[in-house]
Order: sequence, then structure tokens, then C-alpha cells
Amino acid sequence: MFLQEVARACPGFDPATKDPEFLWLSPYRCTEPQPESTTPRGWNSAPGTWPGCASIGGGGSNFGSSRPNGKGLPVKESSRGQDKPENLFSRQPKSKSEITDMVRSSTITVSDKAHILSMQKFGLRDTIVKSHLVQKEEDYTYIQNFRFFVGTYNVNGQSPKECLRPWLSCDIQAPDVYCVGFQELDLSKEAFFFHDTPREEEWFKAVTQGLHSDAKYAKVKLIRLVGIMLLLYVKQEHAAYISEVEAETVGTGIMGRMGNKGGVAIRFQFHNTSICIVNSHLAAHTEEYERRNQDYKDICSRMQFCQVDPSLPPLTISRHDVILWLGDLNYRIEELDVEKVKKLIEEKAFETLYAYDQLKIQVAAKTIFEGFTEGELTFQPTYKYDTGSDNWDTSEKCRAPAWCDRILWKGNNINQLSYQSHMALKTSDHKPVSSVFDIGVKVINEELYRKTLEEIVRSLDKMENANIPSVSLSKREFCFQNVKYMQLQVESFKIHNGQVPCQFEFINKPDEKSYCKQWLNANPSRGFLLPDSDIEIELELFVNKTTATKLNSGEDKIEDILVLHLDRGKDYFLSVSGNYLPSCFGSPIHTLCYMREPILDLPPEVISELTLMPIKTEDDGSRLESPMEIPKELWMMVDYLYQNAVQQEDLFQQPGLRVEFEQIRDCLDTGMIDNLCILQTFSHSVAEALLLFLESLPEPVICNSAYYNCLECSGNYTASKQVISTLPTFHKNVFNYLMAFLQELLKNSAKNHLDENILASIFGSLLLRNPAGNQKHEMTEKKKAQEFIHQFLCNPL
Amino acid sequence: MATAPYNYSYIFKYIIIGDMGVGKSCLLHQFTEKKFMADCPHTIGVEFGTRIIEVSGQKIKLQIWDTAGQERFRAVTRSYYRGAAGALMVYDITRRSTYNHLSSWLTDARNLTNPNTVIILIGNKADLEAQRDVTYEEAKQFAEENGGFMLKVNIKMGENVEDAFLEAAKKIYQNIQDGSLDLNAAESGVQHKPSAPQGGRLTSEPQPQREGCGC
Ligand SMILES: Nc1nc2c(ncn2[C@@H]2O[C@H](COP(=O)(O)OP(=O)(O)OP(=O)(O)O)[C@@H](O)[C@H]2O)c(=O)[nH]1
Ligand SMILES: [Mg+2]
Repeated sequence: MFLQEVARACPGFDPATKDPEFLWLSPYRCTEPQPESTTPRGWNSAPGTWPGCASIGGGGSNFGSSRPNGKGLPVKESSRGQDKPENLFSRQPKSKSEITDMVRSSTITVSDKAHILSMQKFGLRDTIVKSHLVQKEEDYTYIQNFRFFVGTYNVNGQSPKECLRPWLSCDIQAPDVYCVGFQELDLSKEAFFFHDTPREEEWFKAVTQGLHSDAKYAKVKLIRLVGIMLLLYVKQEHAAYISEVEAETVGTGIMGRMGNKGGVAIRFQFHNTSICIVNSHLAAHTEEYERRNQDYKDICSRMQFCQVDPSLPPLTISRHDVILWLGDLNYRIEELDVEKVKKLIEEKAFETLYAYDQLKIQVAAKTIFEGFTEGELTFQPTYKYDTGSDNWDTSEKCRAPAWCDRILWKGNNINQLSYQSHMALKTSDHKPVSSVFDIGVKVINEELYRKTLEEIVRSLDKMENANIPSVSLSKREFCFQNVKYMQLQVESFKIHNGQVPCQFEFINKPDEKSYCKQWLNANPSRGFLLPDSDIEIELELFVNKTTATKLNSGEDKIEDILVLHLDRGKDYFLSVSGNYLPSCFGSPIHTLCYMREPILDLPPEVISELTLMPIKTEDDGSRLESPMEIPKELWMMVDYLYQNAVQQEDLFQQPGLRVEFEQIRDCLDTGMIDNLCILQTFSHSVAEALLLFLESLPEPVICNSAYYNCLECSGNYTASKQVISTLPTFHKNVFNYLMAFLQELLKNSAKNHLDENILASIFGSLLLRNPAGNQKHEMTEKKKAQEFIHQFLCNPL
Repeated sequence: MATAPYNYSYIFKYIIIGDMGVGKSCLLHQFTEKKFMADCPHTIGVEFGTRIIEVSGQKIKLQIWDTAGQERFRAVTRSYYRGAAGALMVYDITRRSTYNHLSSWLTDARNLTNPNTVIILIGNKADLEAQRDVTYEEAKQFAEENGGFMLKVNIKMGENVEDAFLEAAKKIYQNIQDGSLDLNAAESGVQHKPSAPQGGRLTSEPQPQREGCGC
């Protein structure tokens, strides 16, 4: 049969020779160094003399007579079905078989990054800029004085009858701002109930006409609550610097709400200073000072201005840089009788009289107007006169004179220039009061403002840049040297995180299915890092049957770039390099047949060329060297088993040892065949190596193209043999060779407990592989494949 | 106080490309931090920075990606080009090779970005005049032939650095204004953010106008 043919084809082949001195084996012998150059090199030195099968055929065994002895280990179909060769290693503790079916969950690719980064908190930035601007106000503003005229006049329900110039234009210099307040504008029921009065227009006109004639003024705001009215004017040239003007009213009259008493206020921004003007008319009558206190407090708490930004809480009076408070506060002089008061006034003993002033006393007691200042009273009380005169009240009630009409202020950089009453005006039973102030207003220096703003924006940008996650890597270049088939190499590195917590992940490059080449794996490939923390990442390199062939051929190299991506942060490139030591594992059958020398002795170009060489049905003699019948590596393993293990119990069913597999692989790839024996390798490891070898073949022994044919004729031995005869020569040789070997094993079944079923099930799935690839064999396909092999085990070849 | 919105309404993505060592990272750093890095390690990966600038009264947030210039990373860095609105292509005036490679950088930039992507050529290290290896004129001609801008920049001294980024932004903004850049296109490299509503503002008399407060 096959072996006999081999014997015929190989001159000098003598099955009886137990210890042939084959020179071609020398490179495979691990002996003392021999004189170089004289040693004939390897396989090509003895073309056509490949005697591989000698040992198997040795002893003149009858291949055909072997029958199953039925003493094989009982094997349950189900469990055998799962015991696929891939899992052979999985019983070893340090299994890395998961590497072969790594789950690559990476979904982000580098180009998605732009999108991820663009999510930004929006409103927050505005708020931060604003608060920084407030904080740094001093950097870009300077104080400039502006002249404010503040006036208050209780007009006792009268229409204007006289020119108001003596009051409003008392100063030589035209003020920049006018704040003019009235009380008791209209005492009629109509005004009280319908809030409408012709007096508003009348007094507005009178005031407008009474303003200083040296300047042009613009009315900013008019606000009125029944009889309490407040007017705000500025010089026209300042209008552009007034903003955020708001006006509100608070009634404290009957029922604590009505507008016959209470206050009105206008707030605004003048340049960069916030200013609030309040005009109030508090409760009347000497003994009612506590009501007046109460009114004041009500006005303070209930006066609220909405802000430009509706998300901010409303402003209260106190939250202004400058507060000017004017009005008929109605505080009286207490304890002294009318005559005594009038006498002190006559003596101009205002200081003495002032000691009895309720407002003074209440302020001193800190019940009201905390933080406010009032100028010295150098004018006689403004209440109560007979209308049209400067005479004290002569009515029945004969009220005691009092400083009802007052002006107070709060804030920095306020300088009172005058505080006076205006006796010349006689329309009312009150005299108007005025005060002129120099008020330091924060004016923006445009250039500095721009600079400050820019600085703030820049610092925010910087903050944002500093908040980009950033890590440092202990290593970025990884070199894996002399990578071998199925030998795990691990390189590790440390990621040290900076100050920003971050999520890291190896991400796919576009058009790639995973973040790295198939033979590589990062562990872990994603994770989360707290500030200043470390994580160790292992890069595991493992070449298996799927990746070996292309590494042999040079189509693939141990070269890769991994992209370590930080969520919202930088990307880091890690370079992987190294060299792969080609192996017979993963090499096609015909390629190995053309390799007369150990694969590691061949130059890479030759390996590449032979690996890429298309499979041929017959050797066409196109190559210089004639090929071997079957791969020498296959012969070595089979021969070893034949010599040492035909009687080994549980052969092909007991896992080998990883270290031994590595030795076997090295022996095969370097040609140091004798090592197999020297190292006392266990038969199980060689048997396993043989299975792994068959599994690693890129094209199975029974070529994919013949797969379905084989399944179809699995019950018909003649047809089956016919299919085998159509296989490419080398595949056919390997198949026949293996079948001969297996039959030889079965002859020893009494010792090794093997039977046709066990062998058919192990080899069925290795020799016949579903061409569709990874999909699990369907049970019926599997059965048929076994049946197919079974025929060759129990029939003469 | 002014109440101008401080926020940006656009995001532009920029990429900086060019041979290794031409100063791409320094350019980014100078722009975002206003500092020169004398000893800058090679970029092995992709870094980025942001800064807000103003073009025609619009605040624009630039998101700038600095890529590795080393040839071996070229295949990977290419994948970061997508969706860039602007590309700053840098060479070193003292090394002709960095100039010679421009056409290959330009090809990548053209092929991998959208047709409206604004490409600006930057000849860096103008301070090393004595070692000049590429004349301004030939680079300018190269830029013009390829329909682009040319700027000579001295990152070390910060000269023209702002301009490089601003010029590109102006051109992109112009493309938006005249409609040639479709913001809805996936790869425009521009995102528009409508400013937050400025509600609650009551009118005052006269309408005070706060002017000249650009920021
Ligand atoms: N004299 C001078 N040196 C500069 C200038 N700009 C950058 N450099 C220097 O050039 C060197 C390289 O600059 P990088 O910014 O790291 O170059 P790169 O383009 O980012 O390089 P890769 O990251 O490798 O792609 C640094 O040592 C800088 O200090 C310049 O305007 N003048
Ligand atoms: Mg760089």
C-alpha cells in the first residue's frame, strides 16, 4: 500500500534497518558541534530519499489485518463531541485559550471623538464669567464723581403754583442726576381708589421746567404710588451709561397695603455702580413712630426688583452700591412742647432740638436705617407751615414743627455737598428739602475691561484645557522578541492618571474590527481611573492557528499601533513590534513538503514564497528540488509515537504538558529531532502536538473542496476512496499515512485501549473541517465525518 | 455692567498636521497657553486644546487637535482628519524635507476632509532666518497654486500664531455666512449653538445702549 509505494519510491529504503545513519537528519540531531561547512545541509542533500515511514512499516506488520479489539475505552459520544482539540490546552491551569475567542467589545472609533468632545455645559460658562467680572471689578474700573441732586417735597395735594427753580436749581453747577420725590401729590379719593391723577403730569412738567438750565436732561423713569412719586433724570450724555432700570412700589397704608402710605423706588446701573433711590411717605402722628419703623421695614423687605437674568433671585434695596433714601418720613420732635420747640428754632439751636428728633433717636437705637448716614440739620423744620407763608401752623391742631422731610444715604464714595430746605416755596404746608452729593461711580475703562474679560475667558479656556484628562504611560513601545507559535508573551505597562478622573479604553481604528491585531490582547482593555491612581495593563501576545499562517508568509507582522483613548481626553499611541519565528504549525501541507530544511533554517523569503505557493494537485517539477511525500514534521511526530507509544494507554485522550509542547514545536522547527527522545517527552504531549498540528493546517487534510463529497459518500467505502484519490498529492499522502498509522495503533488496542470509534471521532473533526469555518459542526455532519474516517480504519487501505 | 453673552455660538474643529518636529505641538501650546515650549517631546498620539475666539462679533470655540507627525503613525493619525473645518499644515523653514512632504500632507487633508475645509500653510521657525532652507516666495507660490493661504510664523516668539487660527476661523465663518458650508452636513466640522435666550430684560427710557464692550 502507501508505505510499500514509499518504499519503492525510496531507493535504499530498508524497513529492517533499525538505526539508519541518515545524513540529512544531522541538522535535527542535537550533538556536539561538528566541523562546519562539511556537514551536508539538511533536506536537500538527499533528494528523493525521504524514508519517513520506515519505522511505521518496520516489523512487517500487516496493515490490513488490524481489527478493532473492542477493548478501547468506552467513550460517550456527547462528551467526545465537546472534547475538541482547541480545548486540549484548556485543562492546564494557566489557560490562555480565551485569547482565541476574545470578545472585542470596542465600539468607539477614533473619529467619533469629535462628537464626544463637543458636549459642553452651556449656561454655566456665562455665569462663571459674570461672577469673575464682578470679582475683578477693581481691575478695570476707576472712580469718577458725579453730582446727584436729591429732593423731597410733600405738596399737600396742591397743584404746582410756583417755579421750582429755587429748589431744583439751587446749586450753581448743573447736577448729573436728578432724583426728585413728592408726597401727597393728590389727596382726592379718585387718586386713592383709581390711581389716576392729573397731578402727575402737572408736577412732572413743573419739575422738568425747574431743572438746571445749563444742561439737557433725559427722563429715565417716573414711578408713582397714589401720592408718592419719584422722578429720575440724567444729563443726556449719561443716558448711554444707565442700564437695568427697574421701578417698584410698596404700599403700607390701610390694611398694610394701600398706597396712601408706603414707598416707591427706582434702581438702575450707572456705569458699573448699582444705585437705588427710595422715596417713602411713612405713617403720620407724633406717637406713631413705631408704625413708621414698621413701614420702613416693610418697604425694605417687600421692595424687590426683578433681574435681567430671570434665573437670578430678585434684588432688594440693600443689595446696591449706593442707596439714596428721601421722603416725608414723618418722624417728629418728641418730649418738647410746641412753644419750646419754636423757641429753640428761633434761637437756631438745631443741635439741641435734634436730640429730640425721633428719627435720630430710632437710628441711634439701630431699629431703622442701619448703615445709613444723614447730614447735619442746619435748616429749621420743614413742617408745618400755613400754606402760602413761612408761618408755623396756626390751625386748631397747632402742630409742633418737625423735620418730617429727610434725605439719607448709604454706600461708599458719597460726599454730601449740601443739605437744605427751601423756604421760598410756599405752595404746601411742607417746605421742600434738597441735598446735593458728589457720588463716586465705578466707570469702566474699556481697554482694561476688555483685557480683564479676555483674561477671564482665557483662564476659563485654560481651566478647560487643564481639565482634559491626561495620563502618563510607563512605556509606549513594546517589543516582543522571537514570538513562537502558541507561546504566550506578556508585556505590561502602567497608566498613571493625572488630576482628572478618567475613563480609558483601547479603541478601534477606522475600518478595523478590533482595537488590535488578532494575536494581541490588552488586559484590561478599558477601565476607570481616579485622580492620581495607577493601573497595570498587560499586553498579551499569542499566536494561534488563525494568525500563524500570515505571520509565516510575512503578510502579517508583529507590528501594531494601539490607540489608548481617554474619554473626553487625549489619545495615546502604543507601538507594538517584534519578530515571529515561523513554525510548521500553521503552515500548509504542500509548503512543508517543499521544505527540506527545518523551517527556522530557511530565509524568510523562501518561507514566504512557499507559504503563498498555491496548492497543486501534482508536483509539476517546476521547482528545483523535488518535494517530500509528506511533511517531515508530521513524520517525526508519527514516527516518535510509533517507536514509543503504540501501546500507550489513553493515547490521544490524555492532555500533554505545555512546556513539552513548546519543546516539541522547537524540535520540529529547528530540526533537532533527537531532542524529542533526549528530553524524555511524554507520548501524550507528542500525540497532542500531532493533533494541534493537524488543527493548525490552514487547509485541512481533506481539502475544503472535498468536504461535502466525503460526507455524502460516508457509507460507501469505494466511493470514499475515490474521493480521497482526487485530493492533491500531498494531502492524499498525508491522509493515507495517517490512516496507516492509526491502523497500526489499532493493532495494539489490547494495550492502548483504542478503538475505531475513538480514533474516528478524534480525527474525523480534524481531517474534515467544515469549510464555513468556526461554526460548530452540526451533529449530523460530525457523525458522517466520523463514519467516513471509520471506514478507513476498519478496511484495508 | 455689560450683559453681553460670554458664550460661544460655534465650535470649529481644527487639525494641525505636518512632519515631526516642525512645531505643531508648540503651535497649539502657544495658542492656548501663550507660552513657548523649548523642549517639547514628540507627540505620540493625539492631543487637543480649546480656546474661544471672536470673529465678526461671534464667539467661536476652537477645538484643536494636534497629531503625531511621525511617519509610522501616519495611517492612524489619518483617521482624526474627519470632520475638521480647518487644517493647519505646518513645515519648518529650516528643513526642506518638511516642505517637500507638504504635498503628501495636503493630499491627505484634501482626501480626508470635506471640500470646504480651510487649509492654511504655516512656515514655522521664522526666527532661525540664518538656517532658512525654504524661501518665503516659493512657499507662497505653493500655497497659491493650491488655493490656500500662507503665513510665516514664529511660534517661539508667538508671532502670527493668533493670526493663523483667526484667519482660518474667518474663512470658515465666511463660508458659513455665504452658505457654502452646510452646517447640517455630518462632516462640516462646525457645530452651531444658538445662544441662551436673554429673557427678562425690561425696557427703560431712554433705551440705554451699552456700546463698545466687545469681549
Ligand atoms: N527656534 C524655534 N524652534 C521652534 C519653534 N517652534 C517650535 N520649535 C522647536 O521645535 C521642536 C519641535 O516642536 P514640536 O512642537 O514638538 O514639533 P511637532 O510638530 O509637534 O512634532 P511631533 O509631535 O513629533 O509631530 C521643539 O523643540 C520646539 O522647541 C520656533 O518658532 N522657533
Ligand atoms: Mg507634537
